[in-house]
Amino acid sequence: MSRWFQEEAKHFKVISVIDLLVDYLQKGRIRVDSSRHPELTTYHDPCNYGRNSLKAFGQGYFEEPRWIVRQCAPQFVDMFPDREGSYCCGAGGGIWATPFKEERVYHGRLKARQLKQSRARWVITSCHNCRDQIVSSLCKEYDLDLGVKYLWELVADSLVTGPAVS
Amino acid sequence: MIVIRVGELADHLGVHRNTVRNWINGGKLPARQMAGKRYLITENDFARLCREFGIDRSSLKLKYLPGSPVMSREMTCQEKDVAEIGGRSARLLPDADWGDACVTCGSCAGACPISGVDGMDPRKAIRMAVLGREEDLIASQWPWKCTLCGKCEEVCPMNVEIVAFLRRVRGLRDRKKVPGSLQKGVLMCLEKGNNLGIPREDFIALLQEMGREMRDEGYPDFEVPIDRPGANLLVTLNSKEAFAEPAAMKSWWKIFSAAGESWTLPSQCWEGVNWGLYTGDDEAMKGIVGNLVANMVRLGCRTLLLPE
Ligand code: SF4
Ligand code: SF4
Repeated sequence: MSRWFQEEAKHFKVISVIDLLVDYLQKGRIRVDSSRHPELTTYHDPCNYGRNSLKAFGQGYFEEPRWIVRQCAPQFVDMFPDREGSYCCGAGGGIWATPFKEERVYHGRLKARQLKQSRARWVITSCHNCRDQIVSSLCKEYDLDLGVKYLWELVADSLVTGPAVS
Repeated sequence: MIVIRVGELADHLGVHRNTVRNWINGGKLPARQMAGKRYLITENDFARLCREFGIDRSSLKLKYLPGSPVMSREMTCQEKDVAEIGGRSARLLPDADWGDACVTCGSCAGACPISGVDGMDPRKAIRMAVLGREEDLIASQWPWKCTLCGKCEEVCPMNVEIVAFLRRVRGLRDRKKVPGSLQKGVLMCLEKGNNLGIPREDFIALLQEMGREMRDEGYPDFEVPIDRPGANLLVTLNSKEAFAEPAAMKSWWKIFSAAGESWTLPSQCWEGVNWGLYTGDDEAMKGIVGNLVANMVRLGCRTLLLPE
């Protein structure tokens, strides 16, 4: 963005959902209850937040999302390989909008194996493609027995402040 | 004819039995069922499957039905397929990190989860460009089956920019031949402000409906702040949220409420997912980003939040 719209970009900043959640939690603008997600939980690195961001912007989001997940779900386990070596879920590069379903599912076999081996009951991710791929393809095609949540969904489900009724 | 067992083939490919069964039921792998979980496939179909998924036939224990020739015609004719090589054109030259640095070590091909699909892998793609077979590469579906995940690049000892290169290859394809609905989404986003072409009125109605649900869920004062000038945070969406699972937006709204954030959703051009990235189209990408920038300026927001 700063490449194309230098002048306008001076007046505002662009942030990712991970930046925002870290900011809220660190400044104490939101608080989370870590007792609501007692099950073993893992985090899937989306290629674009991790490896590709590292390459394009010199910074990959690896530790920040894990930190957020641990605030909400303290029983945390990593898959192997992870972070910049993580396997793609199989649904990147816009492949959802193409007819290449078999290839998408085939690509995901490595992620499915990692997920199974992690023994986690929940996997958290911060990308829509990844989440949809895991929910609607990997869990079904590879018989995975685990739930999937967006990072912000996990945070929202763990919020302490908020509605008067809770 | 060849006899396969679903379980064995699935193990070999590293996929689930159900996946192979789906291929058979869906016609991707034409097969006739036999007794005992075995299936009968023709030589040609099997050869095609091996090519598509890069299966090494010699590593599979295969049972041939008596009377069928072991060597298929399909396999022998592959040998005649010797390609012409030519010079490398300026179109795939702009970056020295694409190809010239490659030492053909094959690390990328080893790391890529879809190496072997269509008989391709990242090293081959780079070689095709270097050896002047770029028309074949641009015509190939493989760069679109790649997820631009970057596994290949991560292991490359020469730092070849494989992902940027493959994206460039996508960008060189005739826009009419971009697979699936990607190109349609790009045009839609430029014209209507989101990849799925959801009209403004429908979008506003949907937000109001979700706002009602929020009030029922214990946020009595909640209103979706649409087009609110001067808000700190401008929120963008993935059009799939609005289309397929609007309820998921409420997670964010609850977080904003708890944090006391001053935020707004634009009623137009709220798409935060830029498919120009996937079609290799920098011009379109720029146009889409421009719409977001215009929103920021129009509403005077200080922070732009991207959806993922
Ligand atoms: S890993 Fe890099 S140097 Fe090795 S073959 Fe692939 S692109 Fe070439
Ligand atoms: S970016 Fe494409 S070529 Fe590279 S490892 Fe991923 S799927 Fe394979």
